[in-house]
Amino acid sequence: MTKSKNPHGKEVQAKSFEHIRKKADDGEAVVMTAMEFKEFVESNGVKKAAKEVDIVTTGTFGAMCSSGAYFNLGHADPPIKIQRAWMDGIPAYAGMAAVDLYLGATELDESNNMLRGGAHVIEDLVKGRAVRLKATAYGTDCYPLKEIDTYVSLKTMNQAVMMNVRNAYQNYAAAANSSGKTLYTYMGKLLPELGNATYSSAGEISPLLNDPYYRTIGIGSRIFLGGGEGFVAWEGTQFNPGVARTPRGVPKRPAGTLAVMGDLNDMTPDFVKGLTFTRYGTTLGVGIGIPIPILDEDMASACAVTDDKIFTAIFDYAQQKRSKPVLKEVSYADLSSGEVSINGKSVPTSSLSSIYKARQITEILKKRILDGSFAITEPVQRLPLDKSVKTLEVRSEKEAME
Amino acid sequence: MKTKLVLSFNPEASNLPITHNLIAEYGLLVNILRAEIDEVGGKMVIEISGDETNTKKGVEYLEKAGVGVRPLKEGVRRDDDICIDCGACISICPTNALSLDPKTRKVLFAEEKCVACGVCIDACPSRAMEILI
Repeated sequence: MTKSKNPHGKEVQAKSFEHIRKKADDGEAVVMTAMEFKEFVESNGVKKAAKEVDIVTTGTFGAMCSSGAYFNLGHADPPIKIQRAWMDGIPAYAGMAAVDLYLGATELDESNNMLRGGAHVIEDLVKGRAVRLKATAYGTDCYPLKEIDTYVSLKTMNQAVMMNVRNAYQNYAAAANSSGKTLYTYMGKLLPELGNATYSSAGEISPLLNDPYYRTIGIGSRIFLGGGEGFVAWEGTQFNPGVARTPRGVPKRPAGTLAVMGDLNDMTPDFVKGLTFTRYGTTLGVGIGIPIPILDEDMASACAVTDDKIFTAIFDYAQQKRSKPVLKEVSYADLSSGEVSINGKSVPTSSLSSIYKARQITEILKKRILDGSFAITEPVQRLPLDKSVKTLEVRSEKEAME
Repeated sequence: MKTKLVLSFNPEASNLPITHNLIAEYGLLVNILRAEIDEVGGKMVIEISGDETNTKKGVEYLEKAGVGVRPLKEGVRRDDDICIDCGACISICPTNALSLDPKTRKVLFAEEKCVACGVCIDACPSRAMEILI
């Protein structure tokens, strides 16, 4: 324990990352799931929680669109420099090197039936299934083969790595539809005349909502990913920490995101699921868990946050524009109660995240830390607090450089 | 008593005023839960309420009129291995057959409340719901 000053200049007891890690290595760390920790703080207060609890496990499971996996297939004989490739009929990107492919979760088959996509192929691979690989090439002196039709599985590949550029959104928008027709969106089926509202966050147990200013989650953090282990590789795309926040620092709009990667070989189909949003397309259901070391009282206070203190807005998806009007500001306690009131109308709500699975993840992660199979890591670099999100406009070449 | 029935029609039977007759002749309350009828016939799911004798007579009338009648036992099936317990289906279910267990946060499916409307089928991201009629 060391004494340090918090941002308000108050002297506080603090534990270092190293100290907590050593305690965990020695099997002496006190580890709680996010649910347990919130209850502990409610009955014992933040001070005692900061002193007695070392690590809080957080989790989330939901549709995470910017996901995918890269593969190294091994070389054929004669060798091929793949130009176009399909895995079970889903196009994979081949513009890296001869036999490296990237398969995106939202890539659809070329008939665009929108039911099956890259996400489902990734799930099949995690299940241990073989998938059909077709590839074509233009042929070179060093890579003469021009086409190949074969099967591959995790067993036949050199690398199969999940690499998701935007996951684990810190808060997310909620959706409803004021128009007269059903809308099929990435926020699910939105019934007409505000017939329902959907939301997509694990709320109070979601990783970045428990570490609002990214003090412990950063580049290099070891995480639970898809049932196996992975790492935070970078800030996620559309990282936008500057949104409005509550007095306790919790973002009121979608804010931070994480780019993550991990070995597909270690993952389980329970936490890697191909999902289909009707008339939108496919996406990957990903389970992520992140341990948060309780460094001091501020960290304990951040991890004590509950759904009634986390807010988002329900946007009207009837407006097919980038900026959608806000129908109502709500808390996650309101959303998870099953209905919210919009313009005097009682509107039933649906979560698109699985809180059941998110809680499972917090429990598995706790178990792994306690049995020594999961070691917490200090980030090698903090996530940036000064980034903001830019938009895509139609610009001239000159404007694009200004 | 309340009975849920699946009725199958051929084109001839499609033109009969069966709901009117069930109400007027047999004093039954008829609630149409789902109907898909076109030029080649179709299917209808109804719930009839009335006493046992009239319900029996009503069913006999339907069968005599050439309408296929079978009780609705299972209209929609959920594959629990595929369901991820998200809850996308809950807010669109008109009869609250799908709900969230507030304690475990698992999605519960009360089949007896299901009227096989089918709204949940394409709202399920993991495609765990299947309609059987």
